[in-house]
Amino acid sequence: MQSSVFSQAGTSGVSLGRVMAEDAFEAVVGAHHAEIRRYLLRVTARASDADDLSQETFLRAFRAYRALPPGANVRAWLFTIATNLGRNHFRAQSRRRRAYAAVALESPAGAPERADGRVLADEVRTRVEQVIGGLPEKQRLAFIMRKMHELDYAEIGSSLCCSEESARAHVFQALRKIRKGLDGQLSAGTEPGS
Amino acid sequence: MSETSCREIEPHLLASAMGEAGPDAVERVRVHVAGCPECREELVRYRAVDSMVDTLRRTPGPADDATLARAQLTSRLADLRSRLVTFGIFPSPLGPLLIGRSEMGVAVVEYLPASGSLTPHARRLLGEEAVEDRAATDGLRAELLEYLEGRRVRLAWPLDPRRMRSDFQRRVLEATAALPYGAVTSYAGIAARIGAPSAVRPVAQALRWNPLPIVIPCHRVIGNDGDLTGYAGKRVELKQRLLAVEGIQALPAGRHDFKVHRESMYTLMNGEVEYCLPTCGSLAERPISELTLFGTRERAEAAGFAPCSSCRPDLHPLPA
Repeated sequence: MQSSVFSQAGTSGVSLGRVMAEDAFEAVVGAHHAEIRRYLLRVTARASDADDLSQETFLRAFRAYRALPPGANVRAWLFTIATNLGRNHFRAQSRRRRAYAAVALESPAGAPERADGRVLADEVRTRVEQVIGGLPEKQRLAFIMRKMHELDYAEIGSSLCCSEESARAHVFQALRKIRKGLDGQLSAGTEPGS
Repeated sequence: MSETSCREIEPHLLASAMGEAGPDAVERVRVHVAGCPECREELVRYRAVDSMVDTLRRTPGPADDATLARAQLTSRLADLRSRLVTFGIFPSPLGPLLIGRSEMGVAVVEYLPASGSLTPHARRLLGEEAVEDRAATDGLRAELLEYLEGRRVRLAWPLDPRRMRSDFQRRVLEATAALPYGAVTSYAGIAARIGAPSAVRPVAQALRWNPLPIVIPCHRVIGNDGDLTGYAGKRVELKQRLLAVEGIQALPAGRHDFKVHRESMYTLMNGEVEYCLPTCGSLAERPISELTLFGTRERAEAAGFAPCSSCRPDLHPLPA
């Protein structure tokens, strides 16, 4: 029921408009939600966690959005929020082990098509994911941000509260471990040549 | 250059495989692997890893569909928005005031304690979905200050009724909002206006919990004998000052109250279109609940009423 108290609004000098620059935030959601969710899917390896945490990322961002200085790097800021949520998630729930045990269950039955039309052998894909999943947390997060989302080292550093150099070291260390983890498979004919 | 050890070249080799090495490093790696088969093989392996990871990046995963999460997010954001109150706190002639607004309109006006920490107080009042944002309330602040200084007679703001506690309270506040600027009636008058003439105490309670004081002018509602009776807890002096801004004198009555003397007020019988001197006809015997009392002729006329053609308040104004 809309009573007359609330329709008394006349031509006031005050333009109430909307409470905030909501359209601007809509644009932020539109531009970044899918990617943030994909990031969290890679981090958590569970679609339901990625759904929840990606929503939580944007709800937090919405509350803090007005305090963001103009010209801020919104994408990197969202990655920082998502990274913190992801880390808290693991810390609080110690779900990580179970999450990775579930990877195999959530993997598709068929071999995924590669973008260039070739087929990445199922077992190699699973193996890469397993190795990435087994990395220490910071290395894994840094690696996913760098290699899957192409953030620069300064952005990764601020997400992980570490220096640019440490961020690079995490990624390199991750790469060394993945390379070791894939020993055998790399020489088994999967190398694309150089 | 070719003397670079395998150990030294390793980070460059990684960077090179990832496409992150500068031209110098690329050249050093090229020279090194030309003479070092082991490192050459290592470079090939790292490139293979990089290419594999790149494929992973570009291949949509089985659970990559964000549609559901996006739809849920949209609905949760809408919910959050609707509950979100942005508020500002500012000094006023009546002490610190808080104005809070939601996406629907102005949701709350509150007199704050004269001292102490105001923001935590505001948060307790508004709950967790409250964000302090002075800029978002600055236009409202400016208009309210004009109002308190008597330079504005109307706050035509969209209002958010969700802090009102019941349908009854909404009806009370609606009737109160309809009282003209510069006029008063009694609690019983409001009860009569909403068709619940015996509900005088509930009306007083409803006004006591008015979430939008000043904007919904509960200060224009007084006791049947003209006493102001109460306002904002025990701050009845604020009521006296708000009425004074509107041209209504309330004189001290007893130690803690003020009184509007109806014999010095222009008087409108509810339902009539002409306002009178307080002595016109049988008006002096009518309870205030049947009347609307104006402090000045200007206010009565601004509210759309004409001077009575028999008692002629226009020709015989009350002494100022």
